[in-house]
Amino acid sequence: MIGTYAYTLSHYFLVGAGLGLAMLAVYGLLRLLGVKGEAATGLALILPWLLGFLIWTLDPILASLYISFTDYDVLQPPQWVGIANYRTMFTADPDFLPSMRITFLYGLLSVPLGLAGALGTALLLAQDIKGIGIWRTIYYLPAVLPAAATAVLWRWMLSPSAGLINTLLSPLLNLFGLPRPAWFTDVRLVLPSYVIMSLWGIFGANTVILLAGIKNIPRHLYEAAEIDGAGSWVRLFHVTLPMLSPTLFYTLVMGIIGAMQVFTQPMFIDAPRQAGIFINVYIYQQAFSRFRMGYASALGWWLLLVILLLTLLVFRSSAAWVYYEGERRR
Amino acid sequence: MTALRSAAGQARGVRWWARKSVRRTLVQGVSYALVTLGAAVVLVPFAWMIGTSLKARERLFVYPPQWIPDPVVWRNYIDAWNALPVSFTRFLANTLFITLLAMAAEILTVSLVAYGFARFRFWGRDVLFIILLATMMLPGAITMIPVFVIWKNLHGLDTYDPLTIGAWFAWGPAYVFMLRQFFLTIPYEMDEAARLDGANTLQIFALIMLPLIKPAILAIGVLSFQGNWNNLSGPLIYLNTLEKFPMVLALQFFQKTLAGGSEAPPWNYMMALATIIAVPILALFFLAQRYFIEGITMTGMKG
Repeated sequence: MIGTYAYTLSHYFLVGAGLGLAMLAVYGLLRLLGVKGEAATGLALILPWLLGFLIWTLDPILASLYISFTDYDVLQPPQWVGIANYRTMFTADPDFLPSMRITFLYGLLSVPLGLAGALGTALLLAQDIKGIGIWRTIYYLPAVLPAAATAVLWRWMLSPSAGLINTLLSPLLNLFGLPRPAWFTDVRLVLPSYVIMSLWGIFGANTVILLAGIKNIPRHLYEAAEIDGAGSWVRLFHVTLPMLSPTLFYTLVMGIIGAMQVFTQPMFIDAPRQAGIFINVYIYQQAFSRFRMGYASALGWWLLLVILLLTLLVFRSSAAWVYYEGERRR
Repeated sequence: MTALRSAAGQARGVRWWARKSVRRTLVQGVSYALVTLGAAVVLVPFAWMIGTSLKARERLFVYPPQWIPDPVVWRNYIDAWNALPVSFTRFLANTLFITLLAMAAEILTVSLVAYGFARFRFWGRDVLFIILLATMMLPGAITMIPVFVIWKNLHGLDTYDPLTIGAWFAWGPAYVFMLRQFFLTIPYEMDEAARLDGANTLQIFALIMLPLIKPAILAIGVLSFQGNWNNLSGPLIYLNTLEKFPMVLALQFFQKTLAGGSEAPPWNYMMALATIIAVPILALFFLAQRYFIEGITMTGMKG
C-alpha cells in the first residue's frame, strides 16, 4: 500500500510544483510580450483553472460529443456510427424511458416539496424562537450525514418487513386493513421511497439557507408594511416572499439540477429494474459495466440537453416571480 | 356586535380568543409545537441508526421496536470493522489520504484563482468567469468517459492520481465563485496601501487577503472535506483493488457482497459502518458548525 500512496504522492507534488512554475513562466512570458503587470498577474493567477478547463472540461466535452456518435469500448478505437446511439435511446432501449421518467419525476417531486417544507420551517424558525442556534443545528444534521450513510440508513428504515417506518405505520395500517408498503421493492413505490429519503436529507440544508435569507430582509420593510396596516399574511406574501425569491429561485434551479444527477444513494439500493434506473447510474452502468462508451456518451449529452432546457425554463419563468432589489420594474 | 380595533387589538366587543395577545401566544405555541415535531422527525432516524448498530442480530426484528438495545452489543463495531477481508483501518487511512491531498490542493488553487478573477483586470476576464459559472451546471456524466480515457493513457487507473491530482486545477467552480465574491468585498485601499509599502502580489495575497476572508476559506475547507470524504463516483470508477478503497466504497462493497439481495442483511453491521463513516464529519460539524452553515448559505444566497 505504501507503494500506492507513494506513487500518487510523487505525482501530486510534481504536478503542484509544475503548476507553480507554469504560473511563473506565464507571467514572465506575458511581461516579455509587453503585457501590463496587472493583466499578466491576473492571467498567471487563473492559470490553474484555465489549464484545468482546457484539459479536463473543454477537451472532454468535445471528445464526448464525438464519442457519442461512435461505438467505443475503450479497448479498440471508436467506430463511427452516426446517430445510431441517439436512435437507440429512443427506440430500442427499454430501460431508457423508465430511467428518464424516474429521474425526472424525482427531481420534480423532491425539490419543490423539499423547498416548500424548508420554507415553512424557516418561516417558523424566523419568528424569534428561543434557541434558534440549536434548532438550526438539529435541522441541518441530516445534510451532514454522508449520502452513503443516508442511503443505507433509509434502506433499513424503509425495509418492508422490519423497518421503522412500517413498524410505526402498522397500527394505522391494521386499522384500515392495508398491507405494509413494500418500499423499494414494489415498482410503484420506488419513486416515493427515494423522495421520502431525499426529503429527510435535504430539507435541512435548504431550511438553513432560507432562514439566512429571511434574516437578511431589512427590518424597515416590515415596519413600513405594518404602518400601512398590513397583517401577517399580507406581510408574508408582499414582503417576505418577494425578498426571498432570488434565493428560492437559485435553490430551486440548483436543486433540480442536482436531483437529476443523483448517483450515490441508488448505488446502495437494489430496486426493481422496471421502476427505472436513475440516469446517472444508468450512464455509469453502460460505460463501465457494459463498456458501451459511445452509447453512454450519447445518454450524457441527452442529460445535458434536458438540464439546459429545464434551467432555461426556470429562468424564463423567473421574470414573472423573482424580484431583484436593484431591478427597475415597468 | 361592533368590533373596534385599536392598536393593542383590545377593544370593546372583541371576543377574548381573537385578542391580539392571545392570538400571538397561540401562534407561538403552535410554532413551537411544529418546530419540535420537525426536530423529532429529523433526529429519530439518527437515534435509530445508532440504536441498530448496537443491537444483536436476533434483536433486529423484534416488535414492538426496541429503542434502547438490550443487550448493548459494542462488539458489533469491532466485528463490522473486520467483516471485510481488509480491515476498516485501511479504508479509513485511504479516505484520509484522498481527502487531505485533494483538500489542500483545492483550497490553495481555488483561492489563487478567485483572487485573480477578483482583483486583476485582464483581457477576457469576464468572459472566462462566465464560462467558469457555466461549468457549474455541467453534468459530470459528460466529461466522465473522456477523463477516464485520459487517465487510462496516463496509467492512472487503480491509483489515487485521478482522485487527487485534479484538485490542483481548481476543480470547484462554486468555490471559486464564492471566494471571488468575498474578495470583492475587501476595499481596494488595502491592496494599494500594501503595495505602497512595497509588498508584491503573493505577499498581499498571503498576508492580507487570506486572513481577511478566513471564514470563507474555512467554509470552503469544510465543504471540500465533506465532498472528498463522501465521494463515491470517483473511487468507484477508478479503483479496482479492495485494499485501495475509501470507506464509502468499502461500505458499498460490503452491501453488495454481504448484504445485497439476501433475506436479512446484517443491518447492525451496516449501521455500525455507516456510523463510523459519519462520525468524523459529524464531529467536525459540531466543532465548526458555523462554517458548514456559512458555506451553504453563501453558495445558496449569493446566487
